[in-house]
Amino acid sequence: MPQASSISVLVVDDQLTMRALIRNALQQIGFKDIREAPDGEEALKNLLAKPANLVISDFNMPKMDGLALLRAVRSHPPIRQTAFVMLTGRADRELVQRAVQFGVNNYCVKPFTVQGLRDKIEQVFGQLT
Amino acid sequence: MDELEAIKVTFFQECEELLADLEGGLLAMQDGNDDGDTVNAVFRAVHSIKGGAGAFGLEPLVRFAHVFETLLDAVRSNEVPATPDLVVTLLRASDVLADHVSSARGLGVVDEAVSAAMAAELKACTDPNAAPAPAAVVEAPVFEAAPVAAAPAEALIGADDALDDDDLGFDFQPMTITIDEQAADVAAAAGNVWTVSIRPKSDLYRKANETALLLRELARLGPIEATLDASAIPPLDMLDAEAAYATWTVRLETEEDETAIREVFEFVDGDCDLEITRGEGLSADAALAALLAGETPAAIAAPEPVVIAEAPAPVVVESAPEPVAVAPVVEAAPAPVATPVAAPAPVAAAPAAAAKTQQIDVPGPGQSVIRVDPERIDRLIDLVGELVINQAMLAQRVGEYGIAPSSNLAMGLDELEQLTREIQDSVMAIRAQPVKSVFQRMPRLVREVASMTGKQARLVMDGENTEVDKTVIERLSDPITHMLRNAIDHGLESPEERKAAGKNPEGVVKLAALHRSGRIVIEVSDDGKGINRERVHSIAIKKGLISPELQLTDEEIDNLIFLPGFSTADKISDVSGRGVGMDVVKRSVQALGGRISITSRPGQGSTFTLSLPLTLAVLDGMVVDVAGETLVVPLAAIVESLRPKPEEVRPLGPVGSVLAVRDSFVPLIDVGLTLGYREASPPPTEGVVLLVEGEDGSRAALVADAIHGQRQVVIKSLEQNYQQVDGVAAATILGDGRVALILDVDAVISLRRREPPRPVEPTLIAAE
Repeated sequence: MPQASSISVLVVDDQLTMRALIRNALQQIGFKDIREAPDGEEALKNLLAKPANLVISDFNMPKMDGLALLRAVRSHPPIRQTAFVMLTGRADRELVQRAVQFGVNNYCVKPFTVQGLRDKIEQVFGQLT
Repeated sequence: MDELEAIKVTFFQECEELLADLEGGLLAMQDGNDDGDTVNAVFRAVHSIKGGAGAFGLEPLVRFAHVFETLLDAVRSNEVPATPDLVVTLLRASDVLADHVSSARGLGVVDEAVSAAMAAELKACTDPNAAPAPAAVVEAPVFEAAPVAAAPAEALIGADDALDDDDLGFDFQPMTITIDEQAADVAAAAGNVWTVSIRPKSDLYRKANETALLLRELARLGPIEATLDASAIPPLDMLDAEAAYATWTVRLETEEDETAIREVFEFVDGDCDLEITRGEGLSADAALAALLAGETPAAIAAPEPVVIAEAPAPVVVESAPEPVAVAPVVEAAPAPVATPVAAPAPVAAAPAAAAKTQQIDVPGPGQSVIRVDPERIDRLIDLVGELVINQAMLAQRVGEYGIAPSSNLAMGLDELEQLTREIQDSVMAIRAQPVKSVFQRMPRLVREVASMTGKQARLVMDGENTEVDKTVIERLSDPITHMLRNAIDHGLESPEERKAAGKNPEGVVKLAALHRSGRIVIEVSDDGKGINRERVHSIAIKKGLISPELQLTDEEIDNLIFLPGFSTADKISDVSGRGVGMDVVKRSVQALGGRISITSRPGQGSTFTLSLPLTLAVLDGMVVDVAGETLVVPLAAIVESLRPKPEEVRPLGPVGSVLAVRDSFVPLIDVGLTLGYREASPPPTEGVVLLVEGEDGSRAALVADAIHGQRQVVIKSLEQNYQQVDGVAAATILGDGRVALILDVDAVISLRRREPPRPVEPTLIAAE
């Protein structure tokens, strides 16, 4: 049972508000090590400089979108096992299917609650303490 | 709770930016720029607004944004063509969306009928085949349950569509992973290879240590490959035999951990720069470049699955570790194992850069931005203003003591003055902002005014990045709004009239900003019919604003529209009327030390020119004495100063006189008389003449009794502290603590030229 506080998270979303909301939710779950990036490219730089255990990423972002980020992460050995949870709207079913092909660990349909997000993360890491 | 409120504030700030992006994108589309990126950016703006609004339960905003987004999605996927008409509709929709945002923020009310009609129109565009929905139909709520922002645990994050089930209904097993697996992967990818970089300092050799010994120690841990970088060794004649120039890079394969490697260097701790990196020492930058190069940006057509999705739950990532030597490896250790490697800098920089790109539109890579409370800057500017005054006082006192300019004290003071000036410039630069923030509100205004008046108008903007002090920017909005309204309402003809005149039915209104001689100039021009001078003249006479005998130049007639009580519109239109005339605009502009004028060409249009000082804080001025009073004349207006010779002064009419300056005659104005300091002027030859040039280029010779010299003064508003005085722009405090008035050169010229509107002196017309 991993401790939430020992899992480092990178939140990727082009919207400041959304990053703040997700950070807030993660803090409520018990995460402490939370970083943010506004697009896939920044996220990748961030991960290469310092790997994270979990990436929570939006799909539609400028420069490099969530799918491209997922691909890049999976193709780079040192960070290829980074847990990747994609945030998605209901309308994006096809995207999710592609994300699955690329090896996404889980997806989370917006809107979600704090508990909903926690469930999605626990499905990947096991129950959090 | 407070935290959510804070995020909500962020959300509304972000909405402003998103709305600006949305409008900017749509305008780009209107200019024929409808590539996928632009359309997607437009879509994303609306999508993001909707997402955030959902999280805070802003129901009406979400509903409207949803309809808008649906149409944009169809445009994005080329199901609905982005015709010019559609883009116009989208622009109008963006205005309604902006209203919804304001309303959600508690700053206004949405016209429900307009919103519903707009939503219906958007729906009709999305699906042309569907029966047009009656405008009044209330939208079905997008949520089945309203999100509860009040109960954080229940709050919905990033609300999108319906809230029912949380999966998309296909077979998917979440792929589990453990932190240990990840760490092992990182280590496995890095392998047992270490890169050790050793850069000895001279102390290392002084203490009789030897790099060769260190390398030998390292070799005990495993096979090494050492590379010497001798590029820093200078030519023999410049070589310092006791200095250290060499750097070694060692590739070490070992089962030992980092501590063991560090122990080798225990005795030279501090005497050499040491970097120990796990892996081949390929930099993060290089790895990133490799990854980005191998990556097609957004849409990837033919995916090569790295991972098999159908794989049974537990182990997901098939990580047959790459051959160590080949893999581009980055130093990587997930949690505590701290490694003093190159990593820290980029890590710290990335989030900062991330936050920044959202706010600032000119982000240079790697540079960070500090947000500061504007009050602190204002305080700093005030203090610097005081510093300037203080420095001036000090300089004056020192001058009074008769200390030689070449003395150390005087030279020190000169340096202080220089420094003070630089500080002031730098501080003012902090508060400078591009006029974009004001300009970007204008396209909407033009759309609205045009549709209200039945005109067709296109706004062309220029110089949005022109910078000006924040205090000035805040006050630009009203005059620009008014000038634009006026240009469309009074300047542009109706489409029919334009067609009849052989013009494009769509009129062009241009809004431009530029710097000119230390001021910011805003020009609003139209290609309409120009000012009907005959009519303006007759109205001014009819309303008793001018005397019928008064001969006026075309330019003077044009500027009659700024007289109080002047309004040409036969019927007060809803647009330009509103009870505020151009005279109010003129007065508010003057209060800022600015000027406004108009030029017009019949049939071709008119141009409003508004000029304001770049800052409302300081001014370079010439200090002069007039009838025992000390005045400051803005340096920007002064062309030259001279002592007139008797033969250069020529009388003109019973009271006036002109000064011959080289080839031209310039009207002589006694400032003391104009401001009412004295009843009769002394002969101009006894005083000093300042040749000044007004904003419109007209020249005058101002007579003063004596010149004290050039001084930088801190502007104190007369209006705030007393009231507006004709001919005076503001006041300041001099070095000796006295208050001096700052002359408004243009006002003095026009006071003299056209002695206030009512009593007319025909002799004054010589001015032109």
